[in-house]
Order: sequence, then C-alpha cells, then structure tokens
Amino acid sequence: MKSEKKRIGVFVCHCGINIAGTVNVPDVVKRLKDTTDAAVVIDHQYCCSDPGQDLIKDTIKKEKLDGAVVACCSPTLHENTFRKAVASIGINPYNCEIANIREQCSWVTDDKEKATDKATKIIKTIIKKVQHDEPLTPISIPVTRKALVVGGGVAGIQVALDIAQAGYPVILLEKSPSIGGKMSMLSETFPTLDCSQCILTPKMVEAKQHPNITLMTYSEIDSISGYIGNFKVKVRQKVKYVDWDKCTGCDICVGKCPKKVSDEFNCGLSERKVIYKMFPQAVPNRVVIDAANCLYLQKGACRLCEKHCPFEAIKWDDKDETKELEVGAIVLATGYELLDKKMLGSYGFGKLKNVVDGLRFERILSASGPFMGEVRRPSDGKIPEKVVFVQCAGSRDQENAMAYCSKICCMYTAKQAILYKHRVHHGEAIVFYIDVRTGGKGFEEFYKRATDEGTLYIRGKVSKIFEKGDKVIVWGADTITGKKVEIEADLVVLATAMVPSATKEFAQLLKVTQDEYGWFTEAHPKLRPVETLAGGFFLAGASQGPKDIPEAVSQASGAACKVITLFASETLEHLPVIAGVDEDLCSGCAVCIDVCPYNAREIQIKEDGKKKTVKVIEVLCEGCGACSAACPVGAAQQKNFQDKQIEDMVEVGLE
Amino acid sequence: MLELTQTSKEIKEDIQLLSGQTLSDCYQCGECTAGCPTAFAMDPVPSQSIRLLQLGKYSEVLNSTGIWLCAACNVCGERCPRGVDYGKIADALRTIVLRNKITHVTLEQVDKNFILDAPQQAFIAAFRKFTT
Amino acid sequence: MKQLAYYPGCTLYTKSKNLDLCARETAQILGVELKELETWNCCGAIYSTVQDDLANQVAPIRNLIEAQKISKKLVTLCAACYNVLKRSNRALFLKENDIYCKRMMNYLETEYLGDTETVHYLEVLKNDIGFENLKSKVKRNLSGLKVASYYGCLMLRPSDEMNFDDPDNPMMMDDMFSALGATPVEFPFKGECCGGYVLVNKPDVATKCAQTILESIIDTGADCVATTCPLCQYNIDNQQKLMSKQFNLPIFYFTQLLGLALGIDEKILNFENHYIDPKPLLKQKGLI
Repeated sequence: MKSEKKRIGVFVCHCGINIAGTVNVPDVVKRLKDTTDAAVVIDHQYCCSDPGQDLIKDTIKKEKLDGAVVACCSPTLHENTFRKAVASIGINPYNCEIANIREQCSWVTDDKEKATDKATKIIKTIIKKVQHDEPLTPISIPVTRKALVVGGGVAGIQVALDIAQAGYPVILLEKSPSIGGKMSMLSETFPTLDCSQCILTPKMVEAKQHPNITLMTYSEIDSISGYIGNFKVKVRQKVKYVDWDKCTGCDICVGKCPKKVSDEFNCGLSERKVIYKMFPQAVPNRVVIDAANCLYLQKGACRLCEKHCPFEAIKWDDKDETKELEVGAIVLATGYELLDKKMLGSYGFGKLKNVVDGLRFERILSASGPFMGEVRRPSDGKIPEKVVFVQCAGSRDQENAMAYCSKICCMYTAKQAILYKHRVHHGEAIVFYIDVRTGGKGFEEFYKRATDEGTLYIRGKVSKIFEKGDKVIVWGADTITGKKVEIEADLVVLATAMVPSATKEFAQLLKVTQDEYGWFTEAHPKLRPVETLAGGFFLAGASQGPKDIPEAVSQASGAACKVITLFASETLEHLPVIAGVDEDLCSGCAVCIDVCPYNAREIQIKEDGKKKTVKVIEVLCEGCGACSAACPVGAAQQKNFQDKQIEDMVEVGLE
Repeated sequence: MLELTQTSKEIKEDIQLLSGQTLSDCYQCGECTAGCPTAFAMDPVPSQSIRLLQLGKYSEVLNSTGIWLCAACNVCGERCPRGVDYGKIADALRTIVLRNKITHVTLEQVDKNFILDAPQQAFIAAFRKFTT
Repeated sequence: MKQLAYYPGCTLYTKSKNLDLCARETAQILGVELKELETWNCCGAIYSTVQDDLANQVAPIRNLIEAQKISKKLVTLCAACYNVLKRSNRALFLKENDIYCKRMMNYLETEYLGDTETVHYLEVLKNDIGFENLKSKVKRNLSGLKVASYYGCLMLRPSDEMNFDDPDNPMMMDDMFSALGATPVEFPFKGECCGGYVLVNKPDVATKCAQTILESIIDTGADCVATTCPLCQYNIDNQQKLMSKQFNLPIFYFTQLLGLALGIDEKILNFENHYIDPKPLLKQKGLI
C-alpha cells in the first residue's frame, strides 16, 4: 500500500431529482468538505453526461488529484464510464470508485434527513477505500481463436458458416450421423411453402465444403474443462463400424443388408436397414451400422455388407474414438424435441395409431417420406378424407403439461392444413385452436390463405380423442357459439409442445444454466439473447427457447457475431480485482481452496518440498471474496478489498 | 328468480371465496365444455358460464338452468390447462341461490317409485346440491 | 386373519345389502376381515367443494377417526364414499388450509392427524391380497365372459387427489377380471360420467349419459358391464328402460362377479333386483 496520502476528488451527482430529490446534495458537499480530507468536493447535475465527465477530468488535471470518488448511481451502470474517463487522462482506473447514493440511498427512502446522513456516510467510506486502492492492470489471457458449435441443425449450420466466413476455424458437432436437424425432416416451410430440404441442403453442403469448417457428426461431448478463450473439450466419435475415409455413400451395402428396423427419421412410419444413411441427402454422405440390431455384431452371422462393399469400408474392429479439442468459444445449438408421448393421455397420444404429432405428419406430407408425398394414415394406409388438427396440445397448459406457448404451432398447423388440402383436394381440414398467433412477416396473410383455401377453424380446446371403429372421434367445443363439437375424423394431428433437446445432465456437464423447462438461460432476456452468463458459451436456435426458422437463423448469426468479436483480438482482458496469497502468512491449510466456487486456488509445494502454500490461478479468479473471508490468518487478501480497507470503511461507517 | 342485492364486487368475492377459484384465470379455451358429459343440455355451457361471470353478468348465470345440470364428474377441473375447476364454481353458484332460500327441487317433484327404487345416495346428494 | 376397518355407506347397508354381504364374504375367503366401524355416519354422498361448508366436511372426517380403532386403513366399497372420504381427508391437511383445519378441529371430539388411509376394495384386492393370490382362490373360472369394466368418474378424478389409477386409461378392475379368468374389453368411456347425480332433477339427461356409455360398450362385443358404484349400476341398468335403443346388457356390481368366481352362493349375490336380468347370460356361460 502507498505511504503517501492520495489527493482525492469527490464528485457528487444530482442525477436530476433521482438523488437530489431526496438527498440534500449541497449539504452533503459541505459536510464532506468539513469532515473529510478530500482535496476537492464538487457536485453536478448529471455526472455521466459529457459535460459531467469533462468536469471530472478537468478537475483532476487542475487540482492534480490522484484518485476520484463519484457519488452517483449503481456501479453496474457507470463504473466503466467514469473509469474510462479517468484513464483517458492518465489516472489508473482502479483509483476511481463509485459511491452508490441512489439505489442504496435516495431510492429506498422518502426521509430526506436520513437520506442525506446516509449519503454522506457512504461517500466517506468510499473515500477511505480509495485512499488505499492500488493501481491495477487487467490480466491478459490468450484466446484460442477456434469455435465449437454443438448441434448441426439449421441454427448450428448458420453459426458455423458465419464464423468460418469471418476466417476462423469452426468444429460443427452433431450427435446424429448427419447434420440437418429437424428442418431436414420438414416437408415445406411457412410462409413461403419452400421445400425444406431444398433450401437447407445448399447450406449443409456449404458447411461440408467450407475449408474452415470441420464436421464431426455421430459424436458427443464427454467432458469440458477450462474457461473462456481456453476450453478443452473431450469429444467422443461414436463407433460406426464403417471407415468414413473409404466409404463413398454408394449405398450398395444398404441394398444387400437383410435386416430391417423402424426408421427414426420417418418417425417409425417406415423401415430402414441396419446399415443405413440417415436420409438420401445426408451430409456427410456416409453410412453407419446400428450395432444393437446388426446380425453380425449380435450373432456372428451375415456380413453381406462387407462382402459387397467395393471400397472395403466395413470395419468390424472399429471403436469409439476420443478427441480433445482446444477451442475458445462454444455455441450451443442443440435444438428441440416434441413432447413425450406419455403425456396427453386423454388424446390417445402414443396409443392410437391415427393420432400423430406435427413432425410425424411432416414425414407423411414429405415427398421423400414413407408415402412419397401421398397423405396416408398410419393404421391402414388409407387416404384420410377428414383431418383434425389440434393446436396447443401440451402447450399453454400449466396444470398438465408445459405452461409456455410453443410459438410455431399456429403457423405450422395452418401450413399442414394448406398442404393437406393441396394433396387431397376434396379433403376436409378442421383446426381446433384457442388463439392463432401469427407474429412474423407474412404470417397473418398465410393464416388467411388457410381459411381462404377451405380450412375450418373452430375456437375451442379438445378434451378427448378416442377410436370408434376405424374413425377417430374428437370431442371439442366452439366457445363462440357455446356448443360442444364432436368430429369423426380419419386422422388427427396434434401440434404438440416443443421441449428442449439438451438434458439436465448435459447442462451440468457444461455448467450452463437452464430455466425450469430446460431451455438454456440467456444472459439477459431482452438485451443479451445470444450469450449466457457462463463466459465463452453462446446460444443459437431453439436451444434457448421455442422459435421458428427465420428467428433461429437470425439468432445464429447474432451468436456468430459474438464469437467473432471475442476472436477479434488475440488476448482477452480479465478483471484484476482478484484475490492473492501472502506466502509469508499462508500455512497451506487449504480452507480457501474448498470455498472457492471457481476452482481458482491450488496447493503448491515450494522450497524442495518443505513449504506448502496456496497459489491463485489468476484467470479463473472472479474476485468473489470467499477465500478472503474464509482464511483464518488473513493470507488471502483481495486486491482493493484488503482487510485494512474494509476496516477503515466500517470504522467511518459506524461514526 | 334470484334478485341480487349485493354489489358486483361483493358477489364476485363471494363466488371466488366459496369456490376457491379465480375467475380471471380462465382464458376461455373451452376444454371444460368439450369434455362435460351434460353440456349438451346445459345453458349456459361451462366455458360460457365463466365468461358471463367474467363480464359481470352474475344475475344471468345465477338464474340460469345450466348450473343445476353439473353432475360433479370433475372432468372440467381435471383437464383445465389453467387449473380452473368449473365444478367448484357451479357448486358455489348453486350454494348462493340455495342460501337465498330458493330451492331447486322439492320432494313432491320426485317420482314416488323412483324414491323407493333408487339408491338413497342419489337423494342425499340431491338434497345438499338442490335444496335449501 | 387381517382386519381392516370397513365403511359400508348408506346404500350398501340397506337397499344394496347383498353387495355388502358378498363383498365381506369374498374378503373372508381371501383372508381379510372387513370389520364394520362400530359407529359411523353418512359420508354426504357427494364431496362438498364449497369452501365454508364445514358441516358437510366434518361428517366424513368423523368416520376416518372412528376407523383408527380398528386399523389405519379404511376400506370402502362404494365409489362415491371413496371419493368423499379421501378428498375430505386430504383437504384437511393441505398446507394452505391451515386455518380451515384449525376450525374443523374445533368440531371434532378427538384429535386427528389425518393419517387414516381411505382405500377402495379394489385396491385391497390388488395391494393387500394380490391378484395372483386371488387367481389361486377362484372356484368358478369366469372364462368366456367378456366384461366391460366401467369405473365411473368418482374413483378416478380429481386424479391428483384420488391417486387411484391412470384417469385416462384405468386398468385395475380389468386386471382383477383377468385374474378371475374373464376377458376384459377395452372401450374409451371407462371413466366417463353416467350422470347419476342428476337422476333426481334431470332423469332424461342421466339417461342420455348412460346411453352414451352403453353405445361405446356394445361395439366391443362385451357380454356385460361391471361397475364400482351402486348409483352407476342403478342408473346404467334401470335407465335402459327409457333408452331409445335396446342394449340388453346386464350391469353387475364388481363384487357380484368376484363373489361368483370365488364360489359364493347365488342367493347372497342376489341377481333378482336387476332391470336387465343377468341370469340368462350367466346360465349361458355355465356360471349358475
């Protein structure tokens, strides 16, 4: 600590009437001049304004001040403003501190006398603090300018493309054998009715071919360590039993494979072979073997794929392969699933074959789906003459399912009704709704198109769905006329709730927070939608909350921008207000290591094993002060929050 | 015919207190009406009944016939996405009418043979639900 | 012999005494004594949801207190009693009902902690006796008899209070009939209300509700229907005389078929009081 006394300037802000309306600012100024050793005490209407900041800078220069106390609003708002201002004229910014006399004083009382007393006291404590503040320099940490994108759906692909275009290497990680995500399963997209795969596959191919993008599909994360700019990620590439360097995706093996199992991509409506490609336009264009069902791996029989492969790509001794990646930023684009079939018992969901959810119906509609674009129903393959669409199946239902609105269902239901009627001209489409939410560009017009083209919208939530003969009976209501409505349908499509793909375990692995439903939590719901509070982790797409494709793509580009900003310089600055270790006092008891929430302290052995002390990993320390409080001998002191400073502040506070 | 003497605010408080339900929770989805076994004969149907209450039309609902048709089967409360139990609201509405000494059923109205024949639980329930 | 406190309820005590008798006999055969409470009062027949209706809410609680003299489990046969007793007990001890609970305690002679568990006889058969055990005691196998298990509304809902079975697809009674050798049939209206409570004031509405249920059963090829509530049985059986369509489906109370399978005398089971006479069906299946 410095031995000479600092010349400290105090600047008391009126903040209009926010402070001055309750605190008697002139009185505070007078009291401070009379009772403290501050070199200068002045006030200003709005210190944060340009004239206000100029006043501070000029006063510091004129009065040759060494430190400044700005008595104003919360430091979360303007600490940086004033520190930048003093730094611009050569004062170390850590010699400038904020005395919060607004949120912690004028805004919590109407009593002017008490407010004035408290404001004076607060400022006095900060003057004491600044007296012993050290000049600090931010810590520089290197940044690995390589990004990892978790999730290869449309959002993940967009993030990867944007970061790659900016010139940085990106790894695009996906747990399925191919990228594409849910968008690759859709038939057409609203409101343009573009063929989904037609607009997606160019991006998928671009991602494959881009020199800066490395695709790692059929892979999962096993562990993550490190911190922003310096992550170490262990990725496990799952065993495929096919050498992807040799495989060309010619599909001969698929033709020869004798065993069929349910096809997940077609939502169980058709079958695939045990050796398979996810879908014809898969990227990478390669096959994998489903080990659990493979006749050779389970029973030692068959091997037809190996026999017929012209490239000798079948590899029975294949294993899981672990790779360790070093990246500087991670973008979570893990997407969504649809509501579990176990819920919605009263709708017969999971029990009745002809009650399907939105994704299943997309596969029915899809030209490359199980019925080649002909709308047929799962139970008997008949073309349904009457289809009922049930909106809000599990959404907006705080009592029995998800409380939130899943956002996309109104639009995709209108789309599915329109597409159904395009394929089955005489077919009847009926939609049960509570509201129709059409907030995007061209969306309301699209909804009108649905009714123009003959879809009937009935306002009421469905209570029960059951089978009678080969029909599906839907019990709903029309709240506008107050009548119960019973419809005998051939097929029912439920617009089920979107739920997050990322599990609780996965979030815990990453140490990223999720909300009560499992959507990743953004740093600020309004102003920081693509960042998390965990440094270095960014969000894109439905992993953060229900959204449609245009929003997912916008957000993806936003997340990419944040990553690119992070990579813009080779180093990152870390706050220097961190804890240290006084090695003379430290006995190596390690209590501080236990209390540190950031794993920023560790034992070190010095002097050939004779002395055991604690060491601080500076880049991990977030300056929370827990070690400082826990240390029994005062060896853990936090910079600019030294015990002596706190004692001085308390002493003057209790006067 | 029930003549209301209390203010709207008082009636609303009464209904909410007796039923334990918050009328504004209902967002008019109609699932209650859709699943109600006796709604085909009810006027007003459950969702409309709540809507009328939300609009302050207490007299219309309290004097309606629909509230007496509730069979207390609990489908409405079980399935309501907002946790509103119309069965409880109907019970409260009937109670208000009955406590004003307006009976819905008298013994004379019931068929004698039916009284001898049917399980007495029907009458016990009816006496609480329909008589003052 | 395991002793369980038993609450018959008004209807099973009088008009439907045969159902009470055969239930108790079946329990004896299965190794459980259903011991009637020494003193009990009417449960109220319908749970009072009116928040300040203390009188109607105290009455059921008294039975729960009385039950503890015999066992901590109180067995009921009637779905309505089951519903009232279980819901009253739960409401008393909900955290938010602290004041209500204190007020209720003022009217009760003995202190009560809410620890009587109300169970339906079906639950006793499943949990205390076990369906495998039941199967071993069957004397007249009900094979060839297609039974539609009709649960009605009161046993299943509100499902968070009743916790009886899956409200959308209950199977307990169906499983019991499987154990007895019968063939349970699936139909979508197992828990749909029969309209019993509006029989007094709107019999035509009750008839329509009952008809809807029968219409869904007739398509399944069921021979008969089994119920768990005397009012449901009366309603669906008797009102068939007013229905626009003839179903000719006999409606049993589940203990009648249970008693039949366990070899209890036909006279105790009493098949005389039905509107649709079940005897021809039972004779045809070789059960009587």
